[in-house]
Amino acid sequence: MPKLSLRQTATTALTAVGLLALSGCGFTEYPNSTFNHHTDFNTAIDALFQRLLFWGTIVFVVVEAGLVYTIIKYRKRPGGPKPRPIHGNAALEITWTVIPALILVLIAIPTVRTIFQTQADAPAGALKVQVIGHQWWWEFRYPELGIVTANELYVPVGRTVEFELTTKDVLHSFWIPQMGGKRDLISNKTNYLWFTPNVDLGTSAWNGFCTEYCGSSHANMKFRLYTVQPDEFDSWAKHQASPAVFSATPAPTVTPVTPVAQVTGADSTAPAQTTGYVFPSARLATEFPHVIPQTPIPAGLTFDDALLAAGDPARGANEGFMLGGCIGCHAISGVPGAVSEIGPNLTHIASRHTIAGGLYKNDAPTLARWIKNARHMKPGSLMNTIGRGEYDPILKTTNTGGLDDRQIADVVAYLLALK
Amino acid sequence: MATLAAPARATAPASTQSGLWSWIATTDHKRIGTLYLWTALAFFLIGGLEAALIRTQLARPNMGFVSADTYNQLFTMHGTTMVFLAVMPLSAAFFNYLIPLQIGARDVAFPRLNAFSYWVYLLGGIFITLPILFQVAPDAGWFGYAPLTTNQFSSGPNIDFWVIGLQVLGVSSLAAAFNFITTIINLRAPGMTLMRMPMFTWMSFVVQFLLILAFPPITVALVFLLMDRFFGTTFYAIAQGADPLLWQHLFWVFGHPEVYILILPAFGLVSEVLPTFSKKPLFGYNVMVYSGIMIGFLGFGVWAHHMFAVGMGAVADSIFSLMTMLIAIPTGVKIFNWIATMWAGEVRFTVPMKFAIALIAMFTIGGISGVMHSSPPADLQQTDSYFVVAHFHYVLFGGSIMGIFAGIYHYYPKITGRFLDERLGNVHFWLNFIGMNLTFFPMHFSGLLGMPRRIYTYDAGQGWDLFNLLATYGTYLLVIATAVFVWNFVRSRTRGAIAGGDPWGAATLEWSIPSPPPEYNFAQIPTVTSRYPLWDLKDPSWHEGEDSHGDTGTPGPSPLREETETHTAKSLGIPMPYPTAKPAFTALGLVVMFSGLLFLRNDLFAVAMTVTLGGAAMLIGGLYAWLTSPLE
Repeated sequence: MPKLSLRQTATTALTAVGLLALSGCGFTEYPNSTFNHHTDFNTAIDALFQRLLFWGTIVFVVVEAGLVYTIIKYRKRPGGPKPRPIHGNAALEITWTVIPALILVLIAIPTVRTIFQTQADAPAGALKVQVIGHQWWWEFRYPELGIVTANELYVPVGRTVEFELTTKDVLHSFWIPQMGGKRDLISNKTNYLWFTPNVDLGTSAWNGFCTEYCGSSHANMKFRLYTVQPDEFDSWAKHQASPAVFSATPAPTVTPVTPVAQVTGADSTAPAQTTGYVFPSARLATEFPHVIPQTPIPAGLTFDDALLAAGDPARGANEGFMLGGCIGCHAISGVPGAVSEIGPNLTHIASRHTIAGGLYKNDAPTLARWIKNARHMKPGSLMNTIGRGEYDPILKTTNTGGLDDRQIADVVAYLLALK
Repeated sequence: MATLAAPARATAPASTQSGLWSWIATTDHKRIGTLYLWTALAFFLIGGLEAALIRTQLARPNMGFVSADTYNQLFTMHGTTMVFLAVMPLSAAFFNYLIPLQIGARDVAFPRLNAFSYWVYLLGGIFITLPILFQVAPDAGWFGYAPLTTNQFSSGPNIDFWVIGLQVLGVSSLAAAFNFITTIINLRAPGMTLMRMPMFTWMSFVVQFLLILAFPPITVALVFLLMDRFFGTTFYAIAQGADPLLWQHLFWVFGHPEVYILILPAFGLVSEVLPTFSKKPLFGYNVMVYSGIMIGFLGFGVWAHHMFAVGMGAVADSIFSLMTMLIAIPTGVKIFNWIATMWAGEVRFTVPMKFAIALIAMFTIGGISGVMHSSPPADLQQTDSYFVVAHFHYVLFGGSIMGIFAGIYHYYPKITGRFLDERLGNVHFWLNFIGMNLTFFPMHFSGLLGMPRRIYTYDAGQGWDLFNLLATYGTYLLVIATAVFVWNFVRSRTRGAIAGGDPWGAATLEWSIPSPPPEYNFAQIPTVTSRYPLWDLKDPSWHEGEDSHGDTGTPGPSPLREETETHTAKSLGIPMPYPTAKPAFTALGLVVMFSGLLFLRNDLFAVAMTVTLGGAAMLIGGLYAWLTSPLE
């Protein structure tokens, strides 16, 4: 074991004390913590942060102890010494100018080194992912692999992934706390960010957030990252790159809508041969519950869930998706005319665990309500109110056209057939 | 207050004027300062109420206390209110009240311009605050990043109120800044050299330069936005290829010096309080002056550290990082010099002293976390997370607000002639101190554990629940603390113990005259021979035996005379400015003129023209009448 320097020892001790204090409160789970070494990027940042924390703690202790000592020792007491009218002391003042300056040098040097290290060009052979921000969801494209998807990222461990960040509208910021720092998405500008998930990082799920305020549903602009093994990634990628294979698969399992967390598997009904790898729902529920959306469905939105069982995917494709207007905003690869890039690409929507910018679980009852009145479920949502007779909280009118519950159930059946 | 023996006799009222009209028409810097104080405290309460609503919504995961849109308005208005309508004007209250008294002047250089500044502030503040009652308050953050603020993404009137309101408030700040610079340069009493000025006046002096240099960039940024929103220009229109970083650069070239505009007056106030209650001169006066200037100067070279995530490139990130770290040096010097001021002193734990000591303790924490995000790679994990929220609240609440409370408790006896109740003051202090730490310290954790800023809700099980709940409890404690303070503040005006001219045994000129000061301030303009004239007067041998590191004064007996009698200006033959409502009327014209723009949003062109031209006529007419009428 390498000998630890004084600084490393002290830092370790500090961290240990901090963690003990935290676990003492009974909170040992911090699924979005920035203190980890899951990637090269975050390892570099954490090394810098530990150094900052170390010096910061020393300065804190020295200043606060000096302050407390001074006010106690020199508090006014009967018979205490007369105050000495000292106007200053050049030597002392120079000392406490120089010492902080020296500490800053010790911080500045690794800072500049880390800046250049983490902002260098990505290594050759990096997996390229285009991240496109939208109010309020994420579009992810893998240009080399021909994949367009939304709100859920898959990356293989051990390989550098380089994100090319742009936005279709206002500013956003791309942040996966467990993987490293954030980078803004700036209109009319392309930004880059790269990191390499450790090769020994297991197949895991992580939360991602938008961290630049972007309007009404800024809080609801989330995404998920799945770090998977290379073979899993290849399987996923191969299937995602293929056009939608729609056949009259059985209608999706219907679960009654309740606030209880209910993960209906995107992979629960599909025949194995038609899908690629999808992060298993069962593992999410047991190991990564923090990536499962918990947003309650707002009151006042009703849907006849009994209709979902009878949803006809073929009718949903022809009548609902085409005539209902979905095609105006959503692309489905393989469906003629469905090429719009306004809304999320739905080619393999059923392989995703979340909808609506990661705000809701992707299951039939939620999807039905979402289609019926998205603006009621997500403040400011740009998705039109589709349900007939639904009140549109943005237009402040009641929707006279649109789809009725049965037609929506058909569309849901269709979408959940898009494995 | 037993140890601070007060004269038995109640002091005569500061002014024979009374009634609402006398306040509207006043040109007395002390009355204007008082107006600023009351108004800014009212806005402080509004901003605090907004904070309480924000924290209630965040107390638990997926709360439905307020809607997303309401929340976004609340956090925007909390920031805007606290920065522009509470902390800056609270500092302005002290500039107004204290600068002329500290330099031995009878008023500011331009008394009517001073009144104009106040009325523009009040009316602009109302203009920007009222919309929240109608759910149309600004909702793009206090930083108002383009392109979210452009018509394409914010087509309602919300941002109109913000852009017009801030533009109007800028007029107030600029007018006041020029006024104070002129006052400090021209109206100092004989012998009051620059390097004998009290530290509060010095820090205020630095702040006025920051104001006149920092407000032009945001004025330009706001004019661009205003033109975009109302007249179809495309400065920030991304569809026409605009670079939204233009806004960020202009905003932060203002925004970072603004931080020092908010904190330096508080530094000045505690630099008055600490020597007084340590019975020692300020340690390293010269260095304190230079470090204040240095902070202000460097403050213009670090704006892009708010933008480390925008992708400026490694070179720019490095330069702004190093510049930012440099600021820690003069700031650290101030901290150490304050502690050294108390060292070997006779520290009296009065309420103002407690707040001053708390500033040192709390600002240090904000300073340390500040250095943490001066390092760009570390900042990429911190920016726009709750860690930053923790940081700047330690700076602004732990620094500015603590300093301002120190100032309020210290100067209340001077302003009103009565002490604030010490027992209530202690309750206020401790609740405030504990509440502040309970509110903001947990945010360090929630931020580093991945909680983004400006989110109106969050899921359970993210590791943030406990910290958010603690922060909310802390906020409720702060609400109670503030209620105690307000009760004390209002009650002590009539019930507080009578304070004499120099209730604390302080050293500077403002304490050599009665409390509250007469309208003319000094019956006889004092002659100053050192930095601590009142100590020289009361105990000519107070600094014997020490070397003269600082200004030890001119040898011989102090020429200062302590004034204890209150007369009228008339009886002393001192000419005072006429009271006049013309500045208030002119300010009203300015705000009316700008508010005409609002009607353009609804295509009411004729109404817009009428209101704007009517306002312009009031503004020009008011100015004409003002400038052609004699001052005295």
